[in-house]
Amino acid sequence: MKLEVNLARIADPDEELISRVGRGDAAAIQAMVARKLPRMLALARRMLGDAVEAEDVAQEAMLRAWRQAPKWTPGKARFDTWLHRVALNLCYDVLRRRRDIPAATLPERVDEGPAPDQGLLSAETGARVEWALNRLPDRQREAIVLCHYQELTNIEAAGLMEISVEALESLLARGRRALRVSLADLAEDRGADRG
Amino acid sequence: MNEQRLQHLVDAYGGDLCRWPEAERDAARALLKAVPELAVKLDAGHQLDALLLASREPAVSMALRDRVLASALSAGLGPRRLRIWRDRLALAFGAGWTAAACAGVAAGFILSAQVSADASADAILYQATQSTLDDSELVG
Repeated sequence: MKLEVNLARIADPDEELISRVGRGDAAAIQAMVARKLPRMLALARRMLGDAVEAEDVAQEAMLRAWRQAPKWTPGKARFDTWLHRVALNLCYDVLRRRRDIPAATLPERVDEGPAPDQGLLSAETGARVEWALNRLPDRQREAIVLCHYQELTNIEAAGLMEISVEALESLLARGRRALRVSLADLAEDRGADRG
Repeated sequence: MNEQRLQHLVDAYGGDLCRWPEAERDAARALLKAVPELAVKLDAGHQLDALLLASREPAVSMALRDRVLASALSAGLGPRRLRIWRDRLALAFGAGWTAAACAGVAAGFILSAQVSADASADAILYQATQSTLDDSELVG
């Protein structure tokens, strides 16, 4: 009797593209860069709060994608999820290295020091939000970055973080609560502007 | 779905139901329709969602893009003739990691230019099948 082994095959919108990349198709390589590099850079930038380190992580993640492409097995996992795992591991390597280095020798980072002044111009609100994100514990920040900014489903994010959906929701709720407190004055300003 | 679960979902995912777990959206909508006062609970979520949107996506620099394209060649991808060019450039610059990196970046430029040229050629071929479009719309 023939077993139905394809039932659990995972649909992947990147499947055709990664296959062409694996064959060395120049247009596919550029399309992959256009599709994934901004996502990986955004992920690393928000996880690390440092533009240079984020570029290094994004570049290394893409290099690993190139190496993986020729041997990629379709249907076992989504390529985007795999790439997120690679980039997150690289981010955690950076975060671990930071903890190992005495604070005095660390380069200046955007998330250190006091909060940017209140009464911000709208263009500066983003910097303030990034400052607040960078003050979150790593796992809370990771949960918010994956679900809110990278727009992964709760199941994908929980799988990447190797936790249950309930644990993910707890991290999200705690992270959002901390952000609300950090950014309370901005929310009030916006409320006043609307009022 | 009940009021407590709705509050829990707002706390975790914010005020936009599109960001909620797909399996719970319909039940949440039904509850909000049955008890319209609960819509207030979404407001706090919306407020933070709006602030989070203020964090813009970082722009990818051309330098990073070129380095990533070059890394595809160094990983053994790309058309064979470009990989041969990369190897020739590496030889011309001499041995060593720095030289190889320079050659890789140069080859990345070639790959980028080649793809752009291919895209333009494709656009022109496509345009040839259209009667109402101007060349400049397609190839700039």
